Amino acid sequence: MTDWAARQNSDGGWAYSRGCSWAEPTAFVLLAQSAGSPDRASFLNGGKFFASLARQDGGWSPQPGVGESTWVTALAALLPEDLISEQQRRRAIGWLKDKSGRDSSWLYRLRRRLDGDKEELPEGWPWFPGASAWVIPTSLGILAFERALRRGASDRGELEDRIVQGKRFLLARQCADGGWNYGSIHVLGRDGDSYPETTGIALLALNGVPQSAPLQRAKAAARRHFSECRTSEGIAWLRMGMAAQAETLTPAADPVCRTNMDAALMTLAAASRNPLLA
Amino acid sequence: MNSHFTRRDVLATAAAGAALARCGKAPRRFPVSNVSIVKAPGYSMDVYDTVYRMIAGHGLNVRGRRIVLKPNLVEYDANTTINTHPMIVHAVYEAFRKLGAGDVRIAEGPGHRRGTLDLADAAGYFSTISQFENAFTDLNTDAVAKRAIRNPVSKLSSLYLPHTVLDCDLLVSIAKMKTHHWAGATLSMKNLFGLVPGAVYGWPKNVLHWAGIPETIVDLHHLFPKQFAIVDGIVGMEGNGPIQGTPKPAGVLVSGRDPAAVDATCCRIMGIDPKKIEYLRIARGEENLGENAARQVGESIRAVRTDFQLIEEWKAIRLAA
Repeated sequence: MTDWAARQNSDGGWAYSRGCSWAEPTAFVLLAQSAGSPDRASFLNGGKFFASLARQDGGWSPQPGVGESTWVTALAALLPEDLISEQQRRRAIGWLKDKSGRDSSWLYRLRRRLDGDKEELPEGWPWFPGASAWVIPTSLGILAFERALRRGASDRGELEDRIVQGKRFLLARQCADGGWNYGSIHVLGRDGDSYPETTGIALLALNGVPQSAPLQRAKAAARRHFSECRTSEGIAWLRMGMAAQAETLTPAADPVCRTNMDAALMTLAAASRNPLLA
Repeated sequence: MNSHFTRRDVLATAAAGAALARCGKAPRRFPVSNVSIVKAPGYSMDVYDTVYRMIAGHGLNVRGRRIVLKPNLVEYDANTTINTHPMIVHAVYEAFRKLGAGDVRIAEGPGHRRGTLDLADAAGYFSTISQFENAFTDLNTDAVAKRAIRNPVSKLSSLYLPHTVLDCDLLVSIAKMKTHHWAGATLSMKNLFGLVPGAVYGWPKNVLHWAGIPETIVDLHHLFPKQFAIVDGIVGMEGNGPIQGTPKPAGVLVSGRDPAAVDATCCRIMGIDPKKIEYLRIARGEENLGENAARQVGESIRAVRTDFQLIEEWKAIRLAA
């Protein structure tokens, strides 16, 4: 079992690997702790650090030195109830509702139409405001909205619409080999290869999608990646993604956990009560 | 240091500015710098001595200084040559230590894969560089500070950048010699995209794409005036680079204090016209990209020129024979 308190920085947060605390590893360590029996003091200190990154606009900053709200806002909405106030959570969801990929803006759509490209671009989420939508922030956005719905959010219609859009975005970005990479399926007409970790997180976000040929291909890609993958990050996300598709993957051996993120993800993937799974 | 300006200083500065504006169309001239071209047939133990002599030949004063080595570590594919070879990175690391550098760190922030250490392991960095993890900083997750971009050519006015590179005395870009499907060629200047922190901007660092790829390459170049450039062209990549291309042995290492001059020289070695590479044109202007814009040390371009295959979209950048 990981001694999270021993790895914790004095400000209460966790580094990705070593050094300063960031929102993302702190959120995943808190989720990992919440899946078991956490050291309460460490858990609450971590929560305080994370809460300190909340910004006036309702979003979350990825690190104290960054004066902008970014994709990590979705993580705020995924954290356990006792760490984030209901008001902060609602504001985080509100911030996320206002954000989508720049490539789904009306101006960009119009430009594409004028260029003769009539392909529909479903709305996903960007990493950073003003940029395109990509696979990981879109997957986290879907999970955050699904969590908000389970908590009884009042704006159901709006959230459900964005979840549907987000899932369509993911299916539109599925690589030719069945999995997902960061979100580029073609580069100058050539097929891009998928990665284990992004295939896993996309499958997790696609929970509840009816069985279909694309989903079957995705699961086949996940099994293929799992048989070859040696990284904690890849193995953990693949296990979570396939668990969301009602399939259990068991690693033959424990991979090396090099970072706090690796350890947190591996803990979550092995947990019987994984808060990322519905 | 007294930093007060007198009224006379202000007027003199304004007059000088006006005079510069009047002659704004006159081409700016850059000093001619040395670019060394060294033949290196393969990744063998000889490379350590070759690299040391090549760097020492530039007379850098690195004694006691903090040096950051920035390799090109993108993705791993056993069938091709995407990344700077670990032996070159190790040879550069050992060379700077031998030259008396106070601290040498290897630092990179890959743009696609989030598990930087896993990627470095797959690419052979752990097995080649002893105690690699202790010498390495993941720039995607390092502490950051905001830096304004003075006179930006891209749409960006500022960037968050990692402390490790902001605080160093010399940034050494150790790039791979590759073609690039968006930029034409990726060399020491394009390699600086890896300085931008993924934990802030994401994977990929798409903010840079929206702000203009050639323009942000130039802005990043200007943000780091203390640089040394090394390009690993022992085996480069041709075709659909920087990831899906095919290995191209060129048997050469290229280096110098002026990254733009190094990159222009590499382009010529690859059979690419540097005047047709937009980021070089923006950084230098066409008039500073001629063959005489750099002083070649070691081999001549002609002796090592190895035309890299270009994809259809980039055929027009081919340098005349």
